[in-house]
Amino acid sequence: MNIRGVFIEETFAEAFTMRVARVVITARSPRWVREAALKLTGFATSVIGCKVEAGIERELREADTPDGRPGVSVLLMTMSKDDLPKRLIERIGQTVLTCPTTACFDGLPAAPDRLGVGSALRFFGDGFQASKVIGGERFWRIPVMEGEFLVQEKFGMVKGVGGGNFLILARSADAALAAAEAAADAMAGHPGVILPFPGGVVRSGSKVGSRRIKSMIASTNDAFCPTLRAITATALPEGVNSVLEIVINGTDADAIASAMRVGIGAACRDGVVSISAGNYGGKLGPHHFHLRKIMEGAA
Amino acid sequence: MSGIEVRLRAPLGAPADCSALLAGEWTKLTAGELARRGVRLDGRTVPLGELCDVAGQPDGTLRFTGDWSRAARLGAGLAEGAVRIESDVGDEVGLGMAGGSIEVRGAAGARAGAAPAEARRGMTGGELVIHGAAGPEAGALMRRGLVAVGGAVGDHAGVGMIAGTIVICGAVGPSPGLWSKRGSLVAMGDIGIPSTYRYACTYRPPHVPLILRRLAARYGLPAEPRHLTGSYRRYSGDLAELGKGEILAWTAS
Repeated sequence: MNIRGVFIEETFAEAFTMRVARVVITARSPRWVREAALKLTGFATSVIGCKVEAGIERELREADTPDGRPGVSVLLMTMSKDDLPKRLIERIGQTVLTCPTTACFDGLPAAPDRLGVGSALRFFGDGFQASKVIGGERFWRIPVMEGEFLVQEKFGMVKGVGGGNFLILARSADAALAAAEAAADAMAGHPGVILPFPGGVVRSGSKVGSRRIKSMIASTNDAFCPTLRAITATALPEGVNSVLEIVINGTDADAIASAMRVGIGAACRDGVVSISAGNYGGKLGPHHFHLRKIMEGAA
Repeated sequence: MSGIEVRLRAPLGAPADCSALLAGEWTKLTAGELARRGVRLDGRTVPLGELCDVAGQPDGTLRFTGDWSRAARLGAGLAEGAVRIESDVGDEVGLGMAGGSIEVRGAAGARAGAAPAEARRGMTGGELVIHGAAGPEAGALMRRGLVAVGGAVGDHAGVGMIAGTIVICGAVGPSPGLWSKRGSLVAMGDIGIPSTYRYACTYRPPHVPLILRRLAARYGLPAEPRHLTGSYRRYSGDLAELGKGEILAWTAS
């Protein structure tokens, strides 16, 4: 399969089931929405080294937020369901509660699994906190020096998918970066997905384990490192001098597949040799995203 | 709204006590079963069906049409379902209600959403929305839930509140929130603050827009932009009681 001269490899991305929460942050202005969201989603690229994977899903118009102010929705994802409430409490408590003018709401109201978040954060109020039940949902009003922080008592949790991905194999680092930027821009705001890495792009794709250190759970993906082409079992075609990866997490497999189609389509441009994907032979992750099936009709 | 319609055939000749009509479970009752529920009128109990045409299919909603201004305690003890009264209603609408919603398209008499006689607490849940004015002692002794009034309210609104929220879009009568322990009284119109309340600050309470937007979306109670985005003077009280309650008075400045 070729798309605008870019070869789509016959392979698939292998992804895992994760637990997801959607957090809606609102604030007085887009500036403070962004500040809170960037802090909330900071240091949350991969569960390999972070305890959570997170990213901004999309910006929300005033009409689409509970309090009529500017907002964003953020997805936070963990491997275990026991981890998610801990990560929500510590992150919202340290980044959203602290940020001027913000309020924080559940973005998965229909999810049957409910996690106590506001019910834990309320204790910061030291007994001065108060609750309000509005439309059957309880909210906590926590007094802070600026005024009050409003946070919903419970947040929904659903099963999602983490680790959807594709690799951009390009003739140069500049071409790889331009294609990755185009892909990330095209996928920005796609409903139900986040790109948890910086700018949505990963330069250090990893393989499972290490050749040398048994305790390491991941190490550099040498098969895709151009500098190692001559001394390792390379997976790089001729003419490829740089590879970048896009990692996509989402609320469900369909959302990821849809985003991958948009992203791969945007990445197929001058200077790109082929599009590949990372997998572990299909034995570890239950979700397989076959590139050619996803791109059917686009060639 | 589909569901069941209760149409009053002629205006009531005397005040009627409707307290037994919707207390407890009612949302699964057929129109015929509902028509057999009793109303106290002129010292005797008469089936609702003698006064009204009751028709429709049960779906958890109930609509009272005709002139219900002499109906007292309509929706008393309500625990479920959505009730809409298309006219004015008499005293003690939603008395001691525990859940569900009552929407009064006109005005309400005294003690809307208040506590039954001798009871220690009033509303314990649900939403009582009155588009017009309300009489004295609205939300008296309420423990939980929401009372919203589109017009003015009489004296002693929220007297003895234990918790919950009262939103008043019009002018507020004398002595609001007296002896309240907790709870919020949100006033958009003129209000005299009792001397047992103390001013705290002027700010934007973040929960108020949520309440106003819900009232607008679900009940069509107009939410003015100045009330959604404006500032409120916060008074803590009643300091003669627990003092954890508040009056939030909208301010133009």
